[in-house]
Amino acid sequence: MKNIVYLLSTLLVLSGCSKLNEDPESYLTTDQFYQNEQQATAAVNGVYRKLFESGQSLYNSLIQIGVEMATDDYEAGPRARNAHVRAISGLTHDASNDRMEQLWKQSYDAINTANIAIDRIALIPEGKIGTDIRSRLINEAKFLRALNYFNLVRWFGDVPIVLHETTSLKPEDLYVEKSSEDKVYQQIIQDLKDAEALPTAKEYSSSDIGRATSGAAKSLLAKVYLTRKDWQNAAAKSQEVIESNTYALFDNFADVFNVATKNGKEHIFSVQFKGNASYQGNSLASRSAANEVPGINGDYADALHKAGGLYQSFSAGDQRKAVTFVSEMVSPIDGKTYTFDPHFNKYYDPSVVGNQGQSSKNFPVIRYAEVLLIYAEALNEINNAPTTQAYWAIDEVRKRAGIAKLQDVAPNLTVAQFRDSVFQERRKEFVYEHQRWFDLVRRGADYYVATLKAAGKTLAAPKHLHFPTPQRELNLNPKLKQHPDWQ
Amino acid sequence: MKQKSKHIYTHSQRSSLLFLFSFFFLASVYAQKENITLTGKVIDEATKQPLSGATVHIKGTTHEVITDDRGVFGFLTGQRLPVTYIVSYVGYQTSEVTLKEGSSIEVVLRQANSQLTDVLVVGYGRQRRSDVTGSIATVSSKALQQPSSSLDQTLKGAAAGVQVTQTSGQPGGGVSIRIRGGSSIQGGNEPLYVIDGFPIYNSASSAGAITGATVNPLSGINPADIESINILKDASATAIYGSRGANGVIIVTTKKGKSDRNQITYDASYGVQSLRKKIALLDAKGFAALRNDALYDTDPSKGKYQYLTEEQISQLGKGTDWQDEAFQKAPVQNHQLTISGGNAKTRYAVSGNYFNQDGIIKNTDFQRLSGRANLDVVASNRLKISSNFTASRTDANVAPNGIVSALLTMPPTATIYEPDGSYTLRNPFENIFSNPIAALNEQKNKTTTNRLFGTASGEYTILNGLELKVLLGTDVSNTKESSYIPSTIYEGASTNGAASSGAINTISWLNENTLSYSKKFSRHTIDALGGFTQQEFQRDIIRAGAQQFVTDDLEDNSLQSGATVVKPYSDNTRWVLHSFLGRVNYNFDQKYFLTASLRADGSSRFGKGNKWGYFPSAALSWKLSSEPFFDHLLPVINDLKLRASFGTTGNLEIGEYQSLSTLTSLTYLFGNTIVTGFTPNRLANSELGWETTYQYDAGVDVGLFHNRLTLTLDGYYKKTKDLLLNVEIPWTTGQPSSLQNFGSVQNKGFELGLNSRNFTGAFQWNTGINASINRNEVLSIGNGAQQYISGNYIIQVGQPLGLFYGTVTDGILQSHEVSEKGKYTGSAAPKGGDRLYKDINGDGTFTTAADRAIIGSAQPDIIYGISNDFSWKGFDLSIFFQGSEGNKILNSNKQTLELFTGQQNASAAALDRWTTTNPSNTIPRAKLDPAPVFSDRFIEDGSFVRLKTLTIGYSVPRALLQKVKLSNLRFYLIGQNLFTWTKYTGFDPEVTSGNNVSPGTDAGIYPISKVINAGVTVNF
Repeated sequence: MKNIVYLLSTLLVLSGCSKLNEDPESYLTTDQFYQNEQQATAAVNGVYRKLFESGQSLYNSLIQIGVEMATDDYEAGPRARNAHVRAISGLTHDASNDRMEQLWKQSYDAINTANIAIDRIALIPEGKIGTDIRSRLINEAKFLRALNYFNLVRWFGDVPIVLHETTSLKPEDLYVEKSSEDKVYQQIIQDLKDAEALPTAKEYSSSDIGRATSGAAKSLLAKVYLTRKDWQNAAAKSQEVIESNTYALFDNFADVFNVATKNGKEHIFSVQFKGNASYQGNSLASRSAANEVPGINGDYADALHKAGGLYQSFSAGDQRKAVTFVSEMVSPIDGKTYTFDPHFNKYYDPSVVGNQGQSSKNFPVIRYAEVLLIYAEALNEINNAPTTQAYWAIDEVRKRAGIAKLQDVAPNLTVAQFRDSVFQERRKEFVYEHQRWFDLVRRGADYYVATLKAAGKTLAAPKHLHFPTPQRELNLNPKLKQHPDWQ
Repeated sequence: MKQKSKHIYTHSQRSSLLFLFSFFFLASVYAQKENITLTGKVIDEATKQPLSGATVHIKGTTHEVITDDRGVFGFLTGQRLPVTYIVSYVGYQTSEVTLKEGSSIEVVLRQANSQLTDVLVVGYGRQRRSDVTGSIATVSSKALQQPSSSLDQTLKGAAAGVQVTQTSGQPGGGVSIRIRGGSSIQGGNEPLYVIDGFPIYNSASSAGAITGATVNPLSGINPADIESINILKDASATAIYGSRGANGVIIVTTKKGKSDRNQITYDASYGVQSLRKKIALLDAKGFAALRNDALYDTDPSKGKYQYLTEEQISQLGKGTDWQDEAFQKAPVQNHQLTISGGNAKTRYAVSGNYFNQDGIIKNTDFQRLSGRANLDVVASNRLKISSNFTASRTDANVAPNGIVSALLTMPPTATIYEPDGSYTLRNPFENIFSNPIAALNEQKNKTTTNRLFGTASGEYTILNGLELKVLLGTDVSNTKESSYIPSTIYEGASTNGAASSGAINTISWLNENTLSYSKKFSRHTIDALGGFTQQEFQRDIIRAGAQQFVTDDLEDNSLQSGATVVKPYSDNTRWVLHSFLGRVNYNFDQKYFLTASLRADGSSRFGKGNKWGYFPSAALSWKLSSEPFFDHLLPVINDLKLRASFGTTGNLEIGEYQSLSTLTSLTYLFGNTIVTGFTPNRLANSELGWETTYQYDAGVDVGLFHNRLTLTLDGYYKKTKDLLLNVEIPWTTGQPSSLQNFGSVQNKGFELGLNSRNFTGAFQWNTGINASINRNEVLSIGNGAQQYISGNYIIQVGQPLGLFYGTVTDGILQSHEVSEKGKYTGSAAPKGGDRLYKDINGDGTFTTAADRAIIGSAQPDIIYGISNDFSWKGFDLSIFFQGSEGNKILNSNKQTLELFTGQQNASAAALDRWTTTNPSNTIPRAKLDPAPVFSDRFIEDGSFVRLKTLTIGYSVPRALLQKVKLSNLRFYLIGQNLFTWTKYTGFDPEVTSGNNVSPGTDAGIYPISKVINAGVTVNF
């Protein structure tokens, strides 16, 4: 019997060796995080990364694929083999289109990450985080939340507003109904107004360059007002940015897309890319790069929709044309010169020839040229005719592009003619910068449908002013209803 | 008959009679002298036929003789009575008989495959097969004799209710096993392996440094070391494994030494493997014409010969046959040396094995070097000690991802090398992928594993009938992955050489403490077992890489020499399982049997509120043939047993930490410097618990004509609830899904096992048949959802798992029908030669998303195995067929090859494509638009019958061997997969992804090969 006692006591000792509680060594859990300033900063850094988390992500090609393909300027290139992508390009997409699902999914992912940061950073005890940094971090998260809601509301119309972390799996927490576009915009404006308290670019330390700034919040707010046709506020906000003297146009259009001039005077808010650095390059570069040229290894998945006439719309002296497009290249392998249909060239990074997936070019979400054009457009609408200031603003942009001032060539435009001019300028200035679809839609169904049909995309219809609410979400959330145009 | 057994010399062979009489004479004459003559005869128990070639050994001596063709043996020996004979014969149970008086004896041997009398290894113990109340299948020793890289490969078709499908033909690659159907949708479905008492869930993990098929972790265990494999199927048998029993349990026991039989066995075999069939593709001429057509279709203004002119095409030969360049006849060899033996107190078995298999795709291979030492010691009359250890090293060069697809789609007009001798980097056309031969030749993609695996146990008899067993086990494995992509090939050109190195270290330890008690009083027999066990598993992974190398010489051996560092990765996970278990076996009078068991499992993997689960089972069986009223039937039905069982088992095969809201690290860039961020990647679920399977089983075991024919029939019903399901939740929560216990699945089916000894005696013929039918049905997938679409599959309530969901083709659009039917092509600008699809939802138009239907099921109607074993004199022949009927396969390779884009090679079907002059109604036209549409055209019948193994052996007569001091010498030829009858047009119908949501997809899977082996076995 002694033996048994020995054995049993051995057992008890052994059983003490292993515990059933999970205490992961290589993972953090939500409850142990968000405790101090460093962790709060990491939480907000995570929200920025949701701008392009991985793969085809929002600002790393998804918006180009899921949104811009449905315009007169872009189409699915020969290497865009996916049926969903080609459906968007040909306007045959429906509620089960997976790229549109991704737009919804990734935007809400970013919003929830922001929500958690906003809620949890507010709960960090005094002393563990500085007062200024706490409000700065919360406001950065609010800026990003607003940016994502602004995209969502423009793509999908009415959408659910989620402002707090989901902490339970109960139906009342999982299912949120849609709010009206007005309510969504109220939330966006509220968040951006809070974010106006952010530091200016100059107030940030050099190691924080790239964070959302007060100027970014004001510029985005101006764009929100413009989209709402709230011309007064749009003009006022854009004027505020202009008069802050924080920003200016680069003299040379090419500098907008130069690696050396990243985060420069014209850039108000940009998505940050860096190649070959255990990080992520701007994949729009490889998606647009030529695959006809040996050694370039481009994808040619994002192509110019030639029938839309964009390429031809550039006048000869327009400096933007050569920066925007490339149609001739020397192969790094055989040294021969190849010519081909124009490819987008804004993100092509000559330091990584043949490996454009590692392009270090930033993506400009909003830059000073747009603030000028917002200002011009808003003033024209307010006064029902272009003002001197409106001419000045558009001509700043034209002057830098190396083309004649509108004031000189067409000084007496009507409100409609000036409006057309602004939109035309936007189209040429912001090629491959995720603006075209929004601009077409802003002008209403008739304009959108007519423009696309003229460009040979004959299936365009008024319902295309919005994307269908993803079928998956309708299936999973009984409170959700499809957009009326897609029912 | 009676006479025969009394008088064994009634045979009328004069010469032998004479011979025997002279023996008797001598025996009587020399009775008082040193040597005596002992004689005897060996016969079959059932047929009473003599057995020739049986080995008769006098225990404790070196005397050994072989029976002659009348089953007779004789010794002239100095031994004195009593002597004990050990009589053994292939296919029969070894018998020990003692001759106490006289000089002659008749020895009756019983066939080993009369399974009803075997002792089976069951969970935490052994049981006589006749006493078993549950459903247990035993894999025949024949199945274990074929050369294979891992033990699970030998299970193909070997037992009813066990579906074994290869996931890759990569040497050392894995198989997927389903016992009685898959019961989990997203949890693991592989069975639990218990090797010498050590439970292992066989899941491969990769450090992520290499790509391609993972090497099967079981390949570290040498199949030739295995004595027996028993497969526990019903809950009565598996519930003792509780939370890990739901997918069935495979109990593997390795070979142990036998006392008084010191033996050295050497076995060597060499084989040649080859590809079963090639896929018919276009040659250079055909491809050039296709590309011309596709380009013309897009832009007719540029003419019909935009790629090559007619004259250029006429000068083309066949071009490069990429399949011929990559596939090869490949050798496989196996060497096995086993030394075993022992005495009354100590038994040992020591073995060494070398297995080397080259792949049928060049530069892929697998090697194993393993050693095993099993030792059993009777330390005292109360204490027995036993240990089983194996150490192995496996090396595999793995085919990188995408190789098979690239071999099929690389254009025949491309060459392997450029004129200057450097590699052609990639497909020269729009669809970019790299030169597969360059990748095979130059990429390093290697994994090496060292594994030490074993158990040691002590059994102590506390009181008579009461035993304590303490077992300790460990499984330590270290895997190193090495990858290098040189700058000379396309994949490495942009990175200027990319090296990656990864390591996985796992350690698992086990402690089991069981008390067993057995007692017999009058007609009652009780065996009881109780115990506590604990197992812990820990795995850490590290991975590092670098790019931009000055030279390709260093490969991944000098990461510091790369100019660019790839972000390193490390990870550490752990799980713990604590269990209490108990079981009672009771029988009354060997007629009524009862088994009841209960296991309580506590697992670290589950939520705070749900750590412990309880798994009971109960089973009854009734041996009708032992009842008095059955006596008159016994001459025909010698054995009849009815069984019924019910029990619950669980499944915990989810990853670690799934109940917690964990954070993921991310990076972003500020001030051009990388910063780290953390974001949650999961919603917490503190209630996360087991999948629970309730299983009912009813079976009957029948033995007819003295077990000449044995039959086992089982019917079962399994319902699994609380599925561990990644339940989709609205994206508005920020997460796509949350792991919850939701939904249920059922499996029901029949299994038949039949063994027949058609002929016994000198010419033997045994037949074994197993067949099983399983019907799977999804009962619920939670939240009231009726269906869930996952890629090309749909999970639908009321339907089985593994349903293909796609469009339905409806011929080809002809030029005159464009205005009328063009809307059914899904194309914005329909033209003649576009494929037509059915408008499933009836909305008057076709879209790929909305017009889909269920177009087939990957579940077979029936799976079966049929073996026939013959032996005559020294010859043996076994023929084993395996088959599957009614399952469909998604031939994804075909889908790719029927994109007639001219951007990549296409299947030979392109020769019959639609043109204005060849208005085909089955094959569409050449067209640059490359968006693939998944349709029923790519669903094929996956039914097959295959000559799985064909073995021919010849054993040299013992009489000859004794002169050279050998006890056995056998030559054999084994063919594997020699013939296959199937309508499937892909490489091989044995394919699966191994995943329960999307089984049966053949997408660039490394094809399995046919093999011819020649070998020799020598016993000293």
